[in-house]
Amino acid sequence: MTTLKSILILCAVLGSATGAAAAQATVHVEPASFQGPRPLADQTAKAAIRDYIESWQSLNAALDGNRADLLDADFVGDAKDKLMAAIQEQSRLGIRTHYEDRAHDVQIVFYSPEGLSIELTDTVDYDVQLLDHDKSQGMQRVHMRYLVVLTPAELRWKVRVLQAEAE
Amino acid sequence: MNKGGLLAGMLGAATIGLVVIGTVWPVSSARAYAGGQGLLRSSSTPEAAVQNLGDQIRAQAWQRAYESLANKAQFTEPEFVGDLMGYYPNLRTYSGVDHVEVFPLHASDNDAEVQLKLYWSTVVGPSVSTRDLHVVRDGDHWVAEWPIVKRPVVPPQVIPVNYLRWDVIYRGPGDDWGTQDVESPHVRIVDMHPVQRAEGLVILGELLNEDVVPAYVSVTATLLGKDQTPFATEGSFDKISHLLLPKQVTPFLIQFPGASLSDVQSVRMTPFSTLVPASADPVIEIDNEHLNPAPGASLTGQLINQSGQVVNVAHVLGTFYDSTGHVVWIADQYVDSALLPQTPVPFEIHIPEDLARKVSSERTVVASYTAGGVS
Amino acid sequence: MRAVAAFLLMIGVAAPVCAQSSELMLPAKVEAGAAFSIQSTGTGKGTLYIAGLGQVLKRDVQLGETTWFPAGTLYNAGHYAVFLAGNGSAASGAFDVVPVSQPADLSFLARPSRLAVGLHDGITGAVFLFDAYKNLIPVSMPIEFRLTSPSSETQSSTVVTHNGAAWTVMDSTAKQGTDKFVASSGAISSTRIIGQVPGDPCGLKMSAKPAGRQIQLQTDPVRDCSGNAVPDGTIVTFTEAYNGAQSTVDVPLKRGIAQVEMPAHADATITVASGVILGNQIRWEK
Repeated sequence: MTTLKSILILCAVLGSATGAAAAQATVHVEPASFQGPRPLADQTAKAAIRDYIESWQSLNAALDGNRADLLDADFVGDAKDKLMAAIQEQSRLGIRTHYEDRAHDVQIVFYSPEGLSIELTDTVDYDVQLLDHDKSQGMQRVHMRYLVVLTPAELRWKVRVLQAEAE
Repeated sequence: MNKGGLLAGMLGAATIGLVVIGTVWPVSSARAYAGGQGLLRSSSTPEAAVQNLGDQIRAQAWQRAYESLANKAQFTEPEFVGDLMGYYPNLRTYSGVDHVEVFPLHASDNDAEVQLKLYWSTVVGPSVSTRDLHVVRDGDHWVAEWPIVKRPVVPPQVIPVNYLRWDVIYRGPGDDWGTQDVESPHVRIVDMHPVQRAEGLVILGELLNEDVVPAYVSVTATLLGKDQTPFATEGSFDKISHLLLPKQVTPFLIQFPGASLSDVQSVRMTPFSTLVPASADPVIEIDNEHLNPAPGASLTGQLINQSGQVVNVAHVLGTFYDSTGHVVWIADQYVDSALLPQTPVPFEIHIPEDLARKVSSERTVVASYTAGGVS
Repeated sequence: MRAVAAFLLMIGVAAPVCAQSSELMLPAKVEAGAAFSIQSTGTGKGTLYIAGLGQVLKRDVQLGETTWFPAGTLYNAGHYAVFLAGNGSAASGAFDVVPVSQPADLSFLARPSRLAVGLHDGITGAVFLFDAYKNLIPVSMPIEFRLTSPSSETQSSTVVTHNGAAWTVMDSTAKQGTDKFVASSGAISSTRIIGQVPGDPCGLKMSAKPAGRQIQLQTDPVRDCSGNAVPDGTIVTFTEAYNGAQSTVDVPLKRGIAQVEMPAHADATITVASGVILGNQIRWEK
């Protein structure tokens, strides 16, 4: 936990789906705050947070390109189903959405005793831009707290729940 | 004719020419494989007679090999083949003779003793079988007698079998989060010991199935360097009994060729287990186990299949301990004949000479394979 | 009260959102699956876009009028960005869809599905609580965990969720059999079956008697330290040492006992073991 106890600033390069632009999102990790019977190893926590941050890249690429297949590597379960449904709807309507995360403030809040789930909160700053048949309909800067549940897959942690929490 | 056509014509003519040359003047090995007599020498000496017999066996020219025998009246050709290849499906069924060696043991004017070593290539590696042949003079040439070991006869009987069998119903495909599945068997490494050998580093150990269900097991070892970074990973592969019934223990041996213990800070052991359908049958007794000292240190014994079904392949694993009970070596042997019910089959596991002096006790386990599935 | 709250959610907290030449009146929050409306200012026709990570909507609207969205239109909880494009005018805003506070589903992670008897804190359960639209319910709610053992002994605890999750640990009892592990929240519940299996053999003992040229070896019924019968199929190893040689046989338990015939050798020492548990030793002198 020593690594996590100190505030850690990571820089993750989040490429845009089009490859036209690449931006850096700052990642701020708060010390984990949970009570549970299972200790969380530093390595596990780091891997889970790394995989979660990377999932924003595939999320953006999938929603920007309307390509549901790009979700496979990072999403599973309901989170994947909901994003796939959104992509299908976007494709039907001729819409694309471009998400660009700028900052994350992450804290692990639950590690289930059998080791099959890690829950974290993430206060994210991101831009969302909507394009209708490639014509921009506007852009917004968003500051939201997200609840995220990650579960382990063969090679990495995958996002199972990604849900913005109303203030 | 353009240049391409000329080249094609020349290649065609060269091919035809080579085929003709190969047919008219074939090399001896090709003749032998084609069923000819190319490699056969004149049987003017006892060794040559046995060598010819060995070559015929290698080429699986059963009829010619059988016809060449001096004592063929004592058995039939199928019995001769059965004696060599086994009467039931076994390790030899999927193997062939790679090469043969002949050693004269004794000779007089009219008869001789010659040892024939058959080096088999099997699916689990090389296997050697040795037969001592009596060879007799017949005019100006020598003829070998085959020391037939006739098909073992199992007395007619009824062996009631009511051993337990485990079947498993898995959860099935799909997302497993928040659903229930059968638990993997709980296994535990009860001993682990690295040994430096000339060929590299070897990890020895024992794995226990401490659960109440059968387990398919394997063990992976990862070597960590001085900076705690992994630099090599290997698995136990076939130096383990992969199927463990409840409370059964298997040895395992993991080899890291070329690795040195001095480079290793620690070893990360990862036992793997999964629940599999299995049967508690067959029970194989390991009888008359003997630790034979150096030179030629070995563990010998007999396997006795106490069940009613034929065991096609048996894999014998020996774990050798020093006087303090620590594992000092693990060795194995695949028995290349099928185990018939109640019929002893010998085995011999070699122990490295330098370790033989340290060995004070041993434990032997047998993994068995029956046609149609793992038993 | 809930209906009033939903109504207030739907209409009471609507706020104007500045735009370049028109305005949008958006609800601050909408309960998942509830009806809601968006009002715009201006004249002429326009297109309204609502985009979130779970759903995307596009509607042709008449500027200056209220656009109604019937129940069931937006049901995935999250943050939704709203864009309005009209005749040379544009507006944007955002609102949140919140989970229904009535739980409809819980994901119950119970481990292990099989464990030995008598283990303290050996059984764990974790729950994630969801509404009917599979939205995680972040507001705190009580979860009752109840473990009923084969002897009808019950352990229970009530745990309040934090961020939608709750967990507990429980003990396996001394008697083998099947436990029912139930997690419930209000009317919904989820059940897992936990198998309590016997532990290692305890007091392993065998006896020997002659059987022709063989020795018949047989264990007493094999039980664990809590008195549970060790299951059939468990391997018992008999080892006979004689004259510098040894015979070994792994025998599975049948009907609670293991039995085998081994060669009778004078002065043989016979031992029995199961896994790492050693039993008694017999010296055969006949």
